Amino acid sequence: MTARIGILTPGAAARDEPDASPFPVKLSVRDLSFYYGKYRALNNIRLDIPAKRVTAFIGPSGCGKSTLLRTFNRMFELYPEQRAEGRVLLDGEDLLSSRQDVALIRARVGMVFQKPTPFPMSIFDNVAFGVKLFEALSRVDMEERVEWALKKAALWDEVKDKLQQSGASLSGGQQQRLCIARGIAIRPEILLLDEPCSALDPISTARIEELITEFKADYTLVIVTHNMQQAARVSDYTAYMYLGDLVEFGETEQMFLKPARRETEDYITGRFG
Amino acid sequence: MNEKHLSSQFDSDMNGVSSQLMEMGGLVETQIQRVITALANFSLSLVNDVIETEGKVNAMEVAIDHALTAVVARRQPAARDLRLLLAISKITTNLERAGDEADKIARRVRSIVEGGDARKMPIGDLRLASDLASGLIHRALDAFARLDLDAAVSILKEDDLIDQEFKGFTRKLITYMMEDPRTISSSLDLLFIAKAIERIGDHAKNIAEFIIYIVKGTDVRHSSLLHIESVVH
Amino acid sequence: MRNDAARMARFVRRKRVNQAALALAFAAMLFGMFWLAWILWETLRLGFESLSLALLTQDTPPPNEPPGVGGLANAIRGSLVMVALATLIGAPIGILSGVYLAEYNPRGALAVTIRFVNDLLLSAPSIIIGLFVYTAMVVRMRAFSGWAGAVALSLIVIPVVVRTTENMLALIPSGLREAAYALGAPKWKVIVGITLAAARAGIVTGVLLAVARISGETAPLLFTALNNQFWTDGLSGPTANLPVTILQFAMSPYENWQRLAWGGVFLITLIVLGLNVLARILSRGASS
Repeated sequence: MTARIGILTPGAAARDEPDASPFPVKLSVRDLSFYYGKYRALNNIRLDIPAKRVTAFIGPSGCGKSTLLRTFNRMFELYPEQRAEGRVLLDGEDLLSSRQDVALIRARVGMVFQKPTPFPMSIFDNVAFGVKLFEALSRVDMEERVEWALKKAALWDEVKDKLQQSGASLSGGQQQRLCIARGIAIRPEILLLDEPCSALDPISTARIEELITEFKADYTLVIVTHNMQQAARVSDYTAYMYLGDLVEFGETEQMFLKPARRETEDYITGRFG
Repeated sequence: MNEKHLSSQFDSDMNGVSSQLMEMGGLVETQIQRVITALANFSLSLVNDVIETEGKVNAMEVAIDHALTAVVARRQPAARDLRLLLAISKITTNLERAGDEADKIARRVRSIVEGGDARKMPIGDLRLASDLASGLIHRALDAFARLDLDAAVSILKEDDLIDQEFKGFTRKLITYMMEDPRTISSSLDLLFIAKAIERIGDHAKNIAEFIIYIVKGTDVRHSSLLHIESVVH
Repeated sequence: MRNDAARMARFVRRKRVNQAALALAFAAMLFGMFWLAWILWETLRLGFESLSLALLTQDTPPPNEPPGVGGLANAIRGSLVMVALATLIGAPIGILSGVYLAEYNPRGALAVTIRFVNDLLLSAPSIIIGLFVYTAMVVRMRAFSGWAGAVALSLIVIPVVVRTTENMLALIPSGLREAAYALGAPKWKVIVGITLAAARAGIVTGVLLAVARISGETAPLLFTALNNQFWTDGLSGPTANLPVTILQFAMSPYENWQRLAWGGVFLITLIVLGLNVLARILSRGASS
């Protein structure tokens, strides 16, 4: 285990302090372990996620990549048998600390899920739902915000004439972009994407990937994906996980051309099994 | 590279491309050996053989590139698969050029044989360099088949030997030409042949560099031997 | 060739068996439909005969009046008021309990117990509920009353609504809840704004079915609301209602009363049918 940790942050100084990383760090994961009841799903994860870049988590099913993602907004707390130990530092503050208000964390760390999940309300209200939780905007301001979010999610032109229609009336790809608009409407700093394209056709997938690339300018993005080519296409950094361990973390180009570890290379080239 | 992909079709595609490359390498090797013998024996029939084989080598280069494109398009290879395919593409180019050089030598040999006044020239010296060059190509292909880093490094070292041979031979030709200007035209023929042999050695060296790229993922072109050895070890 | 012949014979036999099975199934269906159609036909025929404006406007007549005198106005009014009251009491309690079961610790000991008791209540004969309310309310208050009737009916509404609410909420994909939580929404907001809204059509359907069920219940009213020949303002005394009136009039020897009973049956059938159709339409809207 210690050997694995060693390669993640070359030149790591004291174990507990934020390390001198080659990039500005947004999220620092420190000695994070995760349990489903008694089953240990993550083992002492240590990882720095760069600011305003796309970081991809790859690995076979059950490797813990989604579990890791769901600690970043404390999503796991919905399920009483799930438990995280260790620290996840967002700009130096520990997200997992009980002193942090989980609602405020989720306002800073947005999430988009595998299946599009439009709420049972109009397109407009879908986007406004999250905003209303944190801000009391006037009608005009709210309309502006919804339009801004829908434009950012490249959905505005397709829905501007039917904002009062149900969100469920959109196509799958549009629904997913609606969910992205909903997520960014509350102006988070980080956007977590949990296999956001696995239920979508290639064209919709390409659209979402395009959005991810555009979002880099404003947000820190973390994407979990089963599709290695997708990780290669959209991410700047890639983390390969296996059986709850972080095996390797590095620049995506390096990971897909010459990973440092044999296990990573076997997985990336499809020799895993 | 002996570990298998989840997709056996991927494996057989990769193996297919690799064995096509080995076959092409074999052809080029034969070309070089024959052209050396043709030079030593002033044999026109071997010369014609070499020139004929050139067409086959060119066709194989096209076929291999086509197969490579197909694998890339269908499989989106990554990491060592990607490096292997890129390297094969480059190696193919180098082999084809080595074949071109053999073809050039063959045409020079033909003009020498038809001119008839080269028999008193220092052809024996060329023999040594050309054996070295053809040996290097052979060993480069061997090293590719086994992905043998040590063999690759020793090829890089030996290519320097050929370069030295070439320099020595050039000086010798200059003395010939100064002594007897009538040998100038055949000396120039021989100079071209020597240059071609030196080029074949360079291609072998390039192939060796790509073997290091396949295994280590580091591009060692245009870097010092010292650096290369630090990469390999 | 012989093989082919054998295969052909097998094919023909299979086809015959298939036809025979189909014929049997069809006959069974016809048998069932026959009685149903007969019941509906009789209800409609006899009920239609006694249909008149007086049925809806005049109170129940004394016995032995000539046919055509009196109506069921007081019984209809009593039934409507009691059913509405029972729904107003039962539906909120049922929906809130269903929300508790589905959204708050659904696997806890308390939830398991509640679910078990609710299932018991759901399958309890309605006469038991009538007797319970009789001892709990009527005996203590020393009077039959419309209030007691409404309470008895609400006890039938509650388990139905609890069950449908819980089931409808359980059908909402957890991804929808997670998506709402991921925006930082508090639990009550997620339940009210997202899950209940998504399950709305299903829950309304459940309530409508419960209403359909209690609008024909007789047993719980026998011991609670009893019946009344007249309309009294308020529910504190015995209160007229359709099912008990139908029972009383149908069993009587007076032709006029019998005719009115059929009219009542016709009305109840119509209401239950209407409610069921409405529930169907709503649940179809929910599934699309």
